[in-house]
Amino acid sequence: MSEPLTPDLPEDEAFAAEHALGVLNAGERAAAELRMAREPAFAAHVEAWRERLAPMLATILAVEPSTRVWPRIERGLPVNDNSERGVRFWRGWAMGGMGLAAASMAAVVVLATRPPEIIAPPTPGQLLNARLDTSGGQHLFVAAYDPVRQKLIVTSLVAPGTDPVHVHELWLIPADGKPRSLGQIEPGTSKTLPMPQGLSAMAKEGAAIAVSVEPQGGSQQDGPSGPVAAIGQLAKI
Amino acid sequence: MPATSAIDPLTELMPRIAAGDRAALRQLYQATSAKLFGVCLRILSNRDESEDVLQEVYITIWRRADRFEAGRASVMTWISTIARNRAIDRLRARGPLAYAEQVEELEIDDGQPRADALLEAAQDGEALGRCLSELDERTEKVIRTAFFEGVTYEALATRMDAPLGTVKSWIRRGLAKLKGCLES
Repeated sequence: MSEPLTPDLPEDEAFAAEHALGVLNAGERAAAELRMAREPAFAAHVEAWRERLAPMLATILAVEPSTRVWPRIERGLPVNDNSERGVRFWRGWAMGGMGLAAASMAAVVVLATRPPEIIAPPTPGQLLNARLDTSGGQHLFVAAYDPVRQKLIVTSLVAPGTDPVHVHELWLIPADGKPRSLGQIEPGTSKTLPMPQGLSAMAKEGAAIAVSVEPQGGSQQDGPSGPVAAIGQLAKI
Repeated sequence: MPATSAIDPLTELMPRIAAGDRAALRQLYQATSAKLFGVCLRILSNRDESEDVLQEVYITIWRRADRFEAGRASVMTWISTIARNRAIDRLRARGPLAYAEQVEELEIDDGQPRADALLEAAQDGEALGRCLSELDERTEKVIRTAFFEGVTYEALATRMDAPLGTVKSWIRRGLAKLKGCLES
């Protein structure tokens, strides 16, 4: 049996294809998601492979979920309504291009229709937590904020040693949408960071915590200079 | 009956969802939830867990709709990827036993795809199905298993009692052939 010779995929594309297929372990998946945030060419490979493999999903039998699911989803939404506005705008700014235009428009629409809102201050001692995930929905970091001690505990789920050329910088993005640096976190570690003076009042339910990928030493700008790898919002546990 | 349309009707829902339009999310849910529930159920084989994941998936879509880029992916692929990732996360959270309990042949007796699913699959699906069947049987099976069950290289190697490097090279070679076939 003669087989036509197929050249191997270039390493980058092979890794992208493996990510799209789903064979990578947790650490490798996190590394792949970070690369997607940082390297548009790599992200394009992953997207292309997802499209290539997607027809397999079409062969899966569609099954009606029970009618109780939608009401549960709807109940889950108001939390986001209250808190995403500044973040959306900021995210668009971080991504630039089409994203910027779309996000700015979204922000304008949303701000114009903003209902009055009352956000109760957190009860003393109540922790706020956030899961920071990528655009692909993968959790990369978890954070918990203690408003009484004014400390943020962050854990990186990224495999240790991933991408030693860059650092991961944490940001607090409060309601005004302007990111404030909180420091850096090493892949695979946990860390307790004091909330800087003046920021603790802003670290409340609905504020976002994000991680950007930065050159050694962190961002030299007033805000992230590299791509945002993961983002999540503080919510009551 | 046209199998494709130039404009994906789901695409126009995304900016509305990003802007906080619940009716648009509801429309998306009505159009796609059975499909995504099928995806979750396929991976998790458990209705309650699949419903939990489905709920998380639409809330994720609500929060992430602004990151959807129409030029880069179709809505269906984008939301299916979220559903697959979440279901795989849930499966992996069950621990290593989850893999041992999976039925290896699951992907072969697949139930009867609905007529509309087949129609959807008609264009690209036919090509992918044909190209998958051109691979040797073992490679085809391993690729399908990985895709549907979210099984890592390590777990595949254990299941097939083969060295990790060997499983990896089967899959990589299989993917290269698949691409060559789809492009020919």
